[in-house]
Amino acid sequence: MVTGGLFTLGLMAVVAYRWPRWSLLLNLLLSLGAVAYGGYGLWHGSPTAGPGPLELSPLRAWFLMVLGLVASLSSWYRWGYHDDQVSLRLWLPLFLLSMMTVILANNLWVFMTGWESMTITSFFLVTTHHERPDVLKSGYIYLVMSQVSAMVILAGMLVMDTHLHSVDFSVWAQRGAALPRGTKSLIFGLLGLGFGMKSGVIPFHVWLPRAHPAAPAPVSSLMSGAMIKLGIFGMLQFLLFDLGPTARLWPLLVLAVGAVSSLLGVLYALMEHDLKRLLAYHSIENIGIILLGVGVMGVGIDWHHPAWVAVGLVAALFHTLNHAIFKSQLFLAAGAVEQHTGTLDVDHLGGLLRTIPGIALGFIAGSLAISGLPPFNGFVSEWLTFRGLVGLAHGTGLLALYGLGLIMVLGLTGALAGLCFVKASGVVFLGEPRQAGPRQPLPASLTGSVLGLAAISLILGVIPQPLLHLINGIDPAYRLSTEGLLLPVRTPIIGGLLVVGVAVFAGLSRVWDVRTVPRWSCGREADASMQYTSASFTKAIRTTFAVIYRPHRHVVRLGPGAPDFPTRLLYSGGTVPVWERYLYRPVYGFLWGMSRLSTRIQRGPVRLYLAYVLGTVGLMLALLH
Amino acid sequence: MVWIVQGVGVAVLVAVAPWMWGIAQTVKARCQGRRGPAPGQLYWIIRKHWHKETTVPDRSSWVFRLAPSVSMASLVLIVITIPIAGRVPPEWPHNMLTLFFLLALERFWSGLAGLDTGGTFGGLGASRITTLGTGIEPALFAALGIAWQVSGDGAIVPLAAHLTNGSASLLPWALASVSVALVLLAEWGRLPVDNPDTHLELTMMHEATLLEYDGRFLALSEWAMALKFTALVAFAWVVLGPQFSSLWANLGLRIVEMAATAGALGWLESRLTKLRYFQLPAYFAVAAGIGMLGFYLASGGLGL
Repeated sequence: MVTGGLFTLGLMAVVAYRWPRWSLLLNLLLSLGAVAYGGYGLWHGSPTAGPGPLELSPLRAWFLMVLGLVASLSSWYRWGYHDDQVSLRLWLPLFLLSMMTVILANNLWVFMTGWESMTITSFFLVTTHHERPDVLKSGYIYLVMSQVSAMVILAGMLVMDTHLHSVDFSVWAQRGAALPRGTKSLIFGLLGLGFGMKSGVIPFHVWLPRAHPAAPAPVSSLMSGAMIKLGIFGMLQFLLFDLGPTARLWPLLVLAVGAVSSLLGVLYALMEHDLKRLLAYHSIENIGIILLGVGVMGVGIDWHHPAWVAVGLVAALFHTLNHAIFKSQLFLAAGAVEQHTGTLDVDHLGGLLRTIPGIALGFIAGSLAISGLPPFNGFVSEWLTFRGLVGLAHGTGLLALYGLGLIMVLGLTGALAGLCFVKASGVVFLGEPRQAGPRQPLPASLTGSVLGLAAISLILGVIPQPLLHLINGIDPAYRLSTEGLLLPVRTPIIGGLLVVGVAVFAGLSRVWDVRTVPRWSCGREADASMQYTSASFTKAIRTTFAVIYRPHRHVVRLGPGAPDFPTRLLYSGGTVPVWERYLYRPVYGFLWGMSRLSTRIQRGPVRLYLAYVLGTVGLMLALLH
Repeated sequence: MVWIVQGVGVAVLVAVAPWMWGIAQTVKARCQGRRGPAPGQLYWIIRKHWHKETTVPDRSSWVFRLAPSVSMASLVLIVITIPIAGRVPPEWPHNMLTLFFLLALERFWSGLAGLDTGGTFGGLGASRITTLGTGIEPALFAALGIAWQVSGDGAIVPLAAHLTNGSASLLPWALASVSVALVLLAEWGRLPVDNPDTHLELTMMHEATLLEYDGRFLALSEWAMALKFTALVAFAWVVLGPQFSSLWANLGLRIVEMAATAGALGWLESRLTKLRYFQLPAYFAVAAGIGMLGFYLASGGLGL
């Protein structure tokens, strides 16, 4: 009945697309309804799903709550967003409804219908600005990769159906664990690939940094905060909960994919100048971190180690929520920057803290959270992920060494993320503006929603215990006491002491009692072009990781005295998109060649096709007899 | 009792931090044939700064003004979470992972403050210290690898009790100690990675982020810099060093160890030159490699 109500609300929002305020209000109600329904499911829901086509289980309730939370804040944000077009009002409620269908689906057909309509609606949302050719191209890349992923998922699910003789997910949950090892491996491979593509793990990430920046900010925040998490949802529900123990290779592979995605995601993010593309690459990084939690859980299942299962699951699910919060916060802040200045190129920005202090505060808080720093929520979930990996390193033999390697990768990822967000918030919001331009004032709903998300992220960073308690109840088979889990970190003490400490020292040093003086630039007049830019800030990283980036630069010296005394310098430089060039280009070339081959028999005349039909029928008659 | 010792330990550690820094500077000067300042000089410098008028650059914001307080608060919090006398009650947070996150927080704010000056030097320092962090953090995780072998959740516990029951475990311990020492040299901002005495724009790292600070903010930052040194020395000795059974004796031992480490650092610095910036990845790779080797031996080799 509740689902019926939610769907009615959603459809009303679609119908109301001509009336912006009503549409937004209905959207907000729908999202809040999803939060409430998810919360209800977590507190009071039955541990197993019922027989209907759309059923709630604790795991689904969690993802529903994450989705609803992101959606409600982005609805509020849209109240003052300049780019809130008709197409957004038409497709966004449908997108939300299809994501809810995916989460609540209780059989294969409902799931695939929801999954496909999620892809299609999000395609229309990504191509909101289809008049720009690059947007359309990004949209097509996104559509193609989503279709491939959907087909792979369908194949995996049909294998499951063939062996269990049922399309009902509750049957899968009961009998999935009893499947033979070989079948499980086949299913794990197919579904892992499909869900991995949708969550944007490397090497299937190329659509993500294209599609997310092309979309308007509320859509980017929903896609990054909620949609790619559904891939994680699929892996958890079907691969870990349903299948149970599999071949030991699989969780180790999940860990490896998670490590590679997190490290390369942040490394690519560092080279980005477009704020939204930078954030999109960080989504890849965070999906990698979530996958590390998922992998620890899988290792725990296969090695029969309940503590690892509990830590891994809690880390993965909590980071899912946290990433949804701070990433939508950052995307919404980026959208506000775009609305304020008209550009997203960080090398043209600077000093925005003076003109939009609220957004700046929200972005800096989000940067702290995404870098996993206390007292924000990212700290807690990254800490838990580390703890899961330390659990692996606590053992003996190869697995322990693997665990140590993963810890180091995650440590490097964390440090690089910190660097990247010092750069992003510093170059955009601090210092002096690099280019003068008109600055549009921002409506309160933009600042309010960004700061609202920041407040949630702070609260979850200081008092995460109630929510962790809820997550802990999601899988009753592996329950660990939340107290034991978080005892070593004691977030209220850490967060509380940190805030008190900063306040005390700020009071002692009397931060208000200062005199403003010109800054030091060796006695010369300081100007904005002397500041470090995004490219100069990451120069050392570009040189150190040259093997990954393959940087190239091209300098032309012009003028009568060139090359020694040039009057003008033309500089261009960049990095090589390795995956596109060495993986996608050849595959694309191969497919293109194959389709060209097929033109030899596809000439167009109707007579030819009639001949083919006749030939096929004849062949079948001959073979079947 | 444990609470009192921990409280006294925190107070002593925070109080003696500039003095420990001074010991290193004095010994370094003596080894170079100079007289050098007295070990207590930093207290006078901090006092002088504290009473001066405080100025901020014209383009800076609250981020710049808050950064010294955040540095100091996170370092004091680090000291609070270290079991200085070797033991804290189990309900008190004492965790290496938390400690690393707090160090990262301090680095993050220093970087932000550098960029907030709107000048070239701040950005230069911010870029360099955050880049340095990408070497320090993974290497620190590897260097303390044997600690993951002992405690499954990263609690800060003395390893000595776990490692001295067989002669074979002495080698992993020694390797871990070397590795930790290498990484901490970088985290302290000392030679061969960074030189605290330089003001040349080609060479300074942490100093560049402090360049625009003066008055009370500079005083806090200098104290925080000294405290980072003291806190991490104490941390390393708690984890890797020997322990008495008496808490008070441990506390005394910590003071002696800190002074000795500061002296050794001063001597070492007089014999080292600064590494080139782009040689630092190799430096951290060596530190991490030594730590991983220690971990590998401690985890019983490749035996499954």
